[in-house]
Amino acid sequence: MADKDEKSEGLTRRDALRVLGVSAGIAMIAPLSGCGGVWERQPVIPVDAWHKGVCRFCGTGCGMMIGVTDNKVVDVKGDEYAHNRGRLCIKGLMNREILYGEGRALYPMIRKNGKLERATWDEAMDLVATRFREAIDEYGPDSVAFYGSGQLYTQESYTANKLFKAGIGTNNMDGNPRLCMASAVTGYTSSFGKDEPAGCYEDMDYSDCFFITGSNTLECHPILWERMLDRKRSHPETRIIVVDPRRTFTAMHADLHLPIYPGTDVALYNSMMNEFIENGFIDRDMVENYLSFQEGKQKRTFEDLKKHVAQYPAERAAKICGISPRDIQEAAFTFASSKATLSIWTMGLNQQVQGTASNRGVVAMHLLTGHFGRPGATPFSLTGQPNACGGVRDTGSLSHALPGGRLVANATHREEMEDLWKVPRGRIGPKPGYHAVALFEAIAKGDVKCCLVMCTNPGQTLPNSNLYRKGMEKGFMVVADSFHPTETTIFADVVLPAAMWVEKEGVKGNAERRYHLYPKVVDPPGEARSDLDILVDFAERIGHGDLITAKTPKDVWDEWRHISAHSKYNFEGITYERLQKERGILWPCPTEDHPGTKRRYIPGEDPMAHGGGRFDFYGKPDGRATVWLDSHEEPVDPYTDEFPLIFNTGRILEHWHTMTITGPVPELQSIHPDYLEIHPHDAHHFNIREGDQVIVRSRRGEVELRAKLSLVVRPGMVFATMHSAKHLVNQVTHDVYDPFSKQPAYKRCAVSVRKKTV
Amino acid sequence: MVMRNIRHIRRAWMRLGLTWTWMSLFGSNLAFAAEGNTNIVPGIGLLRGIGIASALGGIIVLILVHFVYRKRLSRGTYHWLLLLGLFVLPITATLSSMATVMEGTKRVEACASCHVMDPFVNDLKNPASPTLAARHYKNKWIAKDQCYGCHISYGATGTIAGKRDGFRHWLYYVTGTYSDPIKFVGSYSNSNCLYCHEGTRIWERIKSHNALRADLEQDLVACIRCHGPPHPLPQERTGSAMK
Repeated sequence: MADKDEKSEGLTRRDALRVLGVSAGIAMIAPLSGCGGVWERQPVIPVDAWHKGVCRFCGTGCGMMIGVTDNKVVDVKGDEYAHNRGRLCIKGLMNREILYGEGRALYPMIRKNGKLERATWDEAMDLVATRFREAIDEYGPDSVAFYGSGQLYTQESYTANKLFKAGIGTNNMDGNPRLCMASAVTGYTSSFGKDEPAGCYEDMDYSDCFFITGSNTLECHPILWERMLDRKRSHPETRIIVVDPRRTFTAMHADLHLPIYPGTDVALYNSMMNEFIENGFIDRDMVENYLSFQEGKQKRTFEDLKKHVAQYPAERAAKICGISPRDIQEAAFTFASSKATLSIWTMGLNQQVQGTASNRGVVAMHLLTGHFGRPGATPFSLTGQPNACGGVRDTGSLSHALPGGRLVANATHREEMEDLWKVPRGRIGPKPGYHAVALFEAIAKGDVKCCLVMCTNPGQTLPNSNLYRKGMEKGFMVVADSFHPTETTIFADVVLPAAMWVEKEGVKGNAERRYHLYPKVVDPPGEARSDLDILVDFAERIGHGDLITAKTPKDVWDEWRHISAHSKYNFEGITYERLQKERGILWPCPTEDHPGTKRRYIPGEDPMAHGGGRFDFYGKPDGRATVWLDSHEEPVDPYTDEFPLIFNTGRILEHWHTMTITGPVPELQSIHPDYLEIHPHDAHHFNIREGDQVIVRSRRGEVELRAKLSLVVRPGMVFATMHSAKHLVNQVTHDVYDPFSKQPAYKRCAVSVRKKTV
Repeated sequence: MVMRNIRHIRRAWMRLGLTWTWMSLFGSNLAFAAEGNTNIVPGIGLLRGIGIASALGGIIVLILVHFVYRKRLSRGTYHWLLLLGLFVLPITATLSSMATVMEGTKRVEACASCHVMDPFVNDLKNPASPTLAARHYKNKWIAKDQCYGCHISYGATGTIAGKRDGFRHWLYYVTGTYSDPIKFVGSYSNSNCLYCHEGTRIWERIKSHNALRADLEQDLVACIRCHGPPHPLPQERTGSAMK
């Protein structure tokens, strides 16, 4: 203390304390190094700007925020203010990868000497225009065709529709919704006179009973499934009934699962209607004042319906469907007696020979029991693609249709559209054009010489594909796609690189009639252009530049929305400005201050509905919805000893359609969808083990798949997904179609399964 | 009073001891009363009491020893008492209060004490809510300290970033400078979900989880992006305190 201060060689006590103190301080804050990270958590993926947009994939149409850094999409997250409340599924999350996958088509290509070679846009478009012009001049307008997609923007489908029907003058204008939703369209139009669901997603928040039939909602509309589960979580007494041949993930959550044989829906619903009548669950007010009855072309009465469904008592229907009578009775009781019942369905019903009958069977159940038009009570057909509704169904971009629910075969409708489109009377042909299957048949026969295909992959998705793939080699195929090669571009004579998702701007309409805007936030790669640009260019070169006057997304939108005011699909009030501001709006929306319509056909809620009654089914001349009397038909493609098994097809959550978009995504590389689900009983019978390569053969073709023994399928039934390009299951499927909608029956055909001999 | 002999010293100690005991008891009860919470998690109250008692006791010891009794204490006694007052009791107080804060702030009531949290706690305890928080609470998937169950960076064994966040939240809150509706900043760490869920049979059999495993572990994709929302969305918050 009082010692002399010796200069020590090391640190003094004071220095030591100083050093220790500073070190401790640094040690405390060192983990926070990085400027921003000192004060706040930083996101793992830094984003410069977030843009409001929508998911590229399914018909749910989830709102998402798209994060862009350096002109690249780097991240996506759910939009908290959209109907999906910030949720996305795995495909939604992978939107951030899809623009950058391998295999993007970057430049136009022309087939020279059998090989596709790079060309300039001028060369390619000149060739396309020349060949189309030649065909039209020599063989007439019906020698050319357009095959579009429920994934094109509304502006694109609308423009193609106008060009082909009112410009070129051919009704050979169809699209892949024919393979997906056509039976839903005819189901709704035969029941209500107008297409599209009457309810909206919000109805799921109020239902007490979900009747899910022919839909693996958990895998195919996962965010809607979560919404239904939320309802059950908040109200555990909510009942879920699932009708599905397979014990899917969705069925595993059901309170009651009816594993009916594929194609027996009509028998089931007739039997349920019989139960309603026998147990007094018929809404008499509906029957007397708001319903009409019809069988084929004959008018019928409620008494006729009673007699008709009495032919399907539970015992008989149960035998046809392969389930128990008790289950039918319980399902019927739960459906009818719940306070609000909501039905959900997709491909299970639509992709059948009796697709239309199945669709309107479900609608009839709702109409008869009065589960209609109230929050939570509605028959809700779910759309598979993101823009089958807005882009194809509402714009009438199918070979028998015209915009706004009009029909080509109806002279008044043709005249209305000719006037609205300002073309001379008689320009639109009176005969419906080729529907999808017929179109590719015509190409194979040589009746259609040139076909423009956009944003779809018929080489993989047409049923009985071997037949039609050969045909595509014959025709002059122009294919616009974002990826090359696909099972369709390999047959193309001209490949046009298309921009994808947020590389182009446009509007789509999802399953609940919500029209919403997809912004352009990055530039397309290489020389890719938007499909609208391609169509506008094509129109000019083929001599119809004066018809296609709207050349930008906004201009086309304005033209179309003003035209829509002349129909019951009126959305004139959905301006581009509103779309930019809102998270979409539900049509009908006739004026700019109208908020959109949640439930249709209700006077006071639906601006198209009039009168003071409970409902106004304005789509029908007598204002009444129609209940149809349909009968169960035995399967086409019978089961024999040679083809004893039922072949069913479908999808899984992680991949989209033909995998052109999801196939290259790095995270999804480990998901291989080319397996055959086979029940252990059948595997034992045919001497097949897990993992064996098997050949599935039908009367039309065969495909090789890897056997996956599973209790998900019933004995006697096998299942494969449609996704893989390496194993084309459509070589096996049947191109028979529903007589009303022309939609092919992918869900059932007769096959044999044998182990592949090495 | 001058301490001339051992008896005086002993008396001084007794008085000191008694004073300290009374002050501690009084202080502890004050602390409990101030919180208004008689539902004491075992341990927290004790820790809190010890902390308060040590702090108060230390101050009193120091004041008495240095300003009042200094001259009457032997040097040795004085130094021992200083040791007590300057090191032992402060350390006890620090440890106890740290433990109290670290453990006490794990409780739902601690989070609820700021009114900006009202919509979140209301939702948590609402059996009809389908948010992740409400479901984990309702089904007792997290038995207690439910907020902390998912926001574990705040505990004594949590991250320094968690402490910084807590400080920042407190600062914004008491100065009223937070932006309403409040948002979670940055990426939420999936480890909070995965440490319970990963490895379970149910989780492992989902193809999507296996496909995204690497992304999930690096927080490139958040579990809550598919399975959320964890809490009511801004437009759904009710019972919120208006700014």
